[in-house]
Amino acid sequence: MGELKNKIMFVVQRPPYKSEDPKLALTHALSSGVTSIHIDEEIVPTVAFIGDGVLNCIKDQKSMEAYGITSNERHIKNMLATDTKTLVCKEDIERLGIKEDRLIDASDMGAEMTIKVVPFNEILKEMEANDHLMFF
Amino acid sequence: MRLALFYSDLRGIESIYNRITAHELGVFLVSNGIYHAVLKENGKPSPILDKKDATFYILKEDLETRGFSDNEVDKRVKVIAYDDLVDLIMDKYEKLAWL
Amino acid sequence: MGTLSIGVFSSLVGSMNLDFAIRLAQTAINKGHTVNLWLSGNATTLSKDKQKEFKDYSHLDKILRDLMGKGLSVVSCEACNQSRGIQKEDLIGGINRASMDLYLANSAQSDRVLHIGVE
Repeated sequence: MGELKNKIMFVVQRPPYKSEDPKLALTHALSSGVTSIHIDEEIVPTVAFIGDGVLNCIKDQKSMEAYGITSNERHIKNMLATDTKTLVCKEDIERLGIKEDRLIDASDMGAEMTIKVVPFNEILKEMEANDHLMFF
Repeated sequence: MRLALFYSDLRGIESIYNRITAHELGVFLVSNGIYHAVLKENGKPSPILDKKDATFYILKEDLETRGFSDNEVDKRVKVIAYDDLVDLIMDKYEKLAWL
Repeated sequence: MGTLSIGVFSSLVGSMNLDFAIRLAQTAINKGHTVNLWLSGNATTLSKDKQKEFKDYSHLDKILRDLMGKGLSVVSCEACNQSRGIQKEDLIGGINRASMDLYLANSAQSDRVLHIGVE
């Protein structure tokens, strides 16, 4: 025990807006970049959307227009623009009938990172590779 | 991966639970997850308990809070107290996930 | 002995998740472990001082103060508090306010992390 851990995986399992959880997952993941004010080690975040949580990844969200709150899409775009590895479960988007062209991308922000559609098995491997898991 | 999975509800989390595997998997029935160890819905035990190669635990305090006792718990599930829970998560399992 | 970080996002009243987290923290501390508690979202309601005790609602004020006296570190999300009208002077003495990067930093340095989302 006492070994320094620095890879944290944020797993989003709930759909957006009804619950505060998905938004908190995204803001927590985004804050990984400023932890250096507390510790010397870098925290490398990975975000995975599984189950109904994949619904957070649909683009053209208009929560700012409707309710005056930042959309989960905006947070996901910021994640991609800061090179956060972002995975979405292939089986779940297929189950829900979501085509890949409906998924958020941040190319308009100059992001090279895109949401990666992967089988659940890949997400399990990622869980294994991370030091800590946070299910939202 | 030595994973402790906290199963905290009666419904709604099965589809994710069913897909999670680990080299060593402990399933901790807590909160409303305890019903999976004591109910026989339509006469059948919960399919949650059919997960292969998992070790099942149930938190005694959450069981008793909901009006059940040790002798009603499915034989595949070990009844534990907070004391045991702390030992298991600090010593046996390395990663924790709450469903 | 190890370090356990617990993050909770559920409300003090209306969920039993905080009761679970506090019992877990209490047991771990009594066994000699170090425990950090992060309160975010509606769980920040636990950080507010002057909560009245009713038998129908979870009431963790006394046990929380007792555990902090035994070394439990409690941090409440600053933005979550402020968005709920809870100011710094409203907090139980000894609870710190910070942003989520501190939770992640504490988690990175912990042996175990249990993150309990909303219900």
